[in-house]
Amino acid sequence: MISGEELISAASALGAGAAMIAGIGAGIGQGFAAGKGAEAVGRQPEAQGVVIRTMLLGAAVAETTGIYALVIALLLLFANPLL
Amino acid sequence: MEEIWEFLQTFDLEVLLAWFEQFEPRELVLAASGLGAGIAMLAGLGPGIGMGVAAGMAANAAGRAPREVRGVTLVMLMGQAMAATAGIFSLVMGLLILYSNPLTEMGDAVSWTILVASTLGAGVAIIGATGQGIGQGYAAGKGSEGVAARPKWHSVIVRTMLLGQAVAQTTGIYALIIGLLLLFANPFIQ
Repeated sequence: MISGEELISAASALGAGAAMIAGIGAGIGQGFAAGKGAEAVGRQPEAQGVVIRTMLLGAAVAETTGIYALVIALLLLFANPLL
Repeated sequence: MEEIWEFLQTFDLEVLLAWFEQFEPRELVLAASGLGAGIAMLAGLGPGIGMGVAAGMAANAAGRAPREVRGVTLVMLMGQAMAATAGIFSLVMGLLILYSNPLTEMGDAVSWTILVASTLGAGVAIIGATGQGIGQGYAAGKGSEGVAARPKWHSVIVRTMLLGQAVAQTTGIYALIIGLLLLFANPFIQ
């Protein structure tokens, strides 16, 4: 016999896992950024400071969606409002 | 293998639905909320890809024209801000489902199947914002490349980029509207 609370916990665990799939996007995007950055530095090594700064700034913005997903997953796991 | 096949043959939707009946409707909707909030966050995929692509194109463009790095960075951030809205839509939907799902308290009046399906559907709907995030990020990257190539046309490039991004935004807004409708103005619930 499964109690209602257990069912909610189980579904929340599934939801926390599903939420983290969003990490794929940030990974792909930042990888693309790193590739383009390496390409630019290889072509013009003297501009590497500018390239790396721009790349890191943009990658930091791309990171936000992964962090949103992480926040929801952590909320579901440790501060679940449904229980 | 044969055991799985035998199990599949004995699968009965009625039995499954009856199994769910042992729970309170409220508990079932709360469980669906936990799952739905997680599903809603899937839309974070799109802006993640898009903003990363924008960052890459901008870094490349800054390498080509290091003197224009300020303009390139500005256009990149402006474009990324548009792409980020998709992620914020999904975050808003996830938090709404978690903290203020109005379907939770309707279990007495409405069948739990409608409430559970609507909660899950609200989470699924917002996945539609994925495409918006990818597309707007690509536009941001191309915009920063354009500014690096022709800094004099900065304002024209930005205007075109923002106009295109506004059009790309519509599908994300449609997804948000359907999600909010399912939660707050559900036509299946009188």
